[in-house]
Amino acid sequence: MVYDSIANASIPTAASNSKDFGKKKRVNRTAKLKQSKLDVRREQWLSQVKNRGFKEETKATRVTKMPAPETHATTETHAATEREHPIVKLEISVGGEENESLMNNYSDSESPSNSPTSHTSSVSESNISVTNFTGSSSRSSCGSSSSSGDCCSGSMTDEEDDEDDGCLDDWEAIADALAAADDIQKSPVDEHPLTPPEPEQPVLTPAGSTNFRAWRPDDVSRPQSLPNLVKQNSFPMKSGSSAFPSSCPICCEDLDMTDSSFLPCPCGYRLCLFCHKRILEDNGRCPGCRKQYESHGNAASSKFGLFGCLVWLGTLLDTGSSARFVNIDSICIEDHSHVKKVDWFHLQYVRYYPRAPGFMILDFLLFLDVL
Amino acid sequence: MMNSGSLTGGRSWPSRTSLTSSGKRIQKEMAELNTDPPADCSAGPKGDNLYHWVATLFGPQGTPYDGGIYFLDITFPANYPFKPPKVVFKTRIYHCNVDSTGNVSLDILEENSWSPALTISKVLLALRSIFNNPNPYKPQVPGIAHLYLVDRSKHDALAAEWTQRFAK
Repeated sequence: MVYDSIANASIPTAASNSKDFGKKKRVNRTAKLKQSKLDVRREQWLSQVKNRGFKEETKATRVTKMPAPETHATTETHAATEREHPIVKLEISVGGEENESLMNNYSDSESPSNSPTSHTSSVSESNISVTNFTGSSSRSSCGSSSSSGDCCSGSMTDEEDDEDDGCLDDWEAIADALAAADDIQKSPVDEHPLTPPEPEQPVLTPAGSTNFRAWRPDDVSRPQSLPNLVKQNSFPMKSGSSAFPSSCPICCEDLDMTDSSFLPCPCGYRLCLFCHKRILEDNGRCPGCRKQYESHGNAASSKFGLFGCLVWLGTLLDTGSSARFVNIDSICIEDHSHVKKVDWFHLQYVRYYPRAPGFMILDFLLFLDVL
Repeated sequence: MMNSGSLTGGRSWPSRTSLTSSGKRIQKEMAELNTDPPADCSAGPKGDNLYHWVATLFGPQGTPYDGGIYFLDITFPANYPFKPPKVVFKTRIYHCNVDSTGNVSLDILEENSWSPALTISKVLLALRSIFNNPNPYKPQVPGIAHLYLVDRSKHDALAAEWTQRFAK
């Protein structure tokens, strides 16, 4: 089944949209490499969810609405092979009901966005965890399946039984209730990919996937230096709110996007990169709390060591309009020596250098032994 | 009474015409001081040099410095705000943290305790607070600190007398 899905995945993409063929070709290597992992992960997740009962399955089907032809195909395969599986049926019907109107907007011209979707999900197979603004994150294996609503709903809705319909009527309420009941499992996900700056809603993630999940804002073990996703969502708007100083408090120069997302100290004191560098050259203490900036040498080395990896992610982000819908919270690469952290600031940096050759980066990642 | 000698000697000042980062910061602080001045103090550039300010502090009520007007020289280093400004009392004051040449011992003005996040407005507030609460354990003038600890009333009387003599 795994290989089935891989084969099905690539063919419709190439055929349906020749415009994206070049891009697809570039990323296909990565996709094929990881598709198997993706499927394994989906199987894991399905079995986990199955154990938790049907209602929890319902809420877990909230997902990205980006169309992903690659994963369409895999889902169809799933549906065909596992038709008796209630989850599959439910996912698809959710997609069909909710997204039919959206799907029209997301025509094939938008399909580049599927490569980030499928890729980020496969990235989370390795030790890199990635959170997508659009909610594909580590759950995107199930997530992308809902986007198959347009093509599958016709055939699949027949198979919905009454129980499914009952759940679907207020599945959002159920999701909320479950979220309250199981609040450790929250993960920030934006409900509406068309309007990314909207405040995200907590959505449950499948249990037991702690190893491969991105940091959540309420995660106890989340490094404090990581920027908050909620704040990130607001910063492209440049709303000038009090939470975000528009100018560096030290040198009074305007903060650009990179500076705005730069959070060097857990105390939350923000300053521009120039002033930060200058302070590091001096006594290296945060102006806000007077504490020593922690392990800046380490951060710098990991920044440059992972640069290629970031460029690779930058290519995923660089899909024109869809790039706005992709928001990566954090990437963690578990090294043999220590955990290197890369935050949103670095990704911002990478976005200035889009379209690095994917294979090069793939090799780099293989070199890093993270795949 | 004045100690201008040690203050400006040997320092190289940044250009007055091109606005450096420190200049921009100082200008912003000046604007903020004008729009939202702290209570009982004022500060601003002495002349056309942005890096040389003069500040006035009014002795707070309930202290022996009540009624006194204290002038201070504030000089910003070229790498302000990464280094603290230098504050010197130009008005004589009987205070254990201010010596006879006007040098102030204030922790946030020391290089190790200074933070670039601090502003002149906060420095002025800190200076006002030492009127109310001298720190005799880190004195600039140990004799006054000793008297402050041993015989507070005599200390206060002397301080009030100095206020009348020098700060009115």
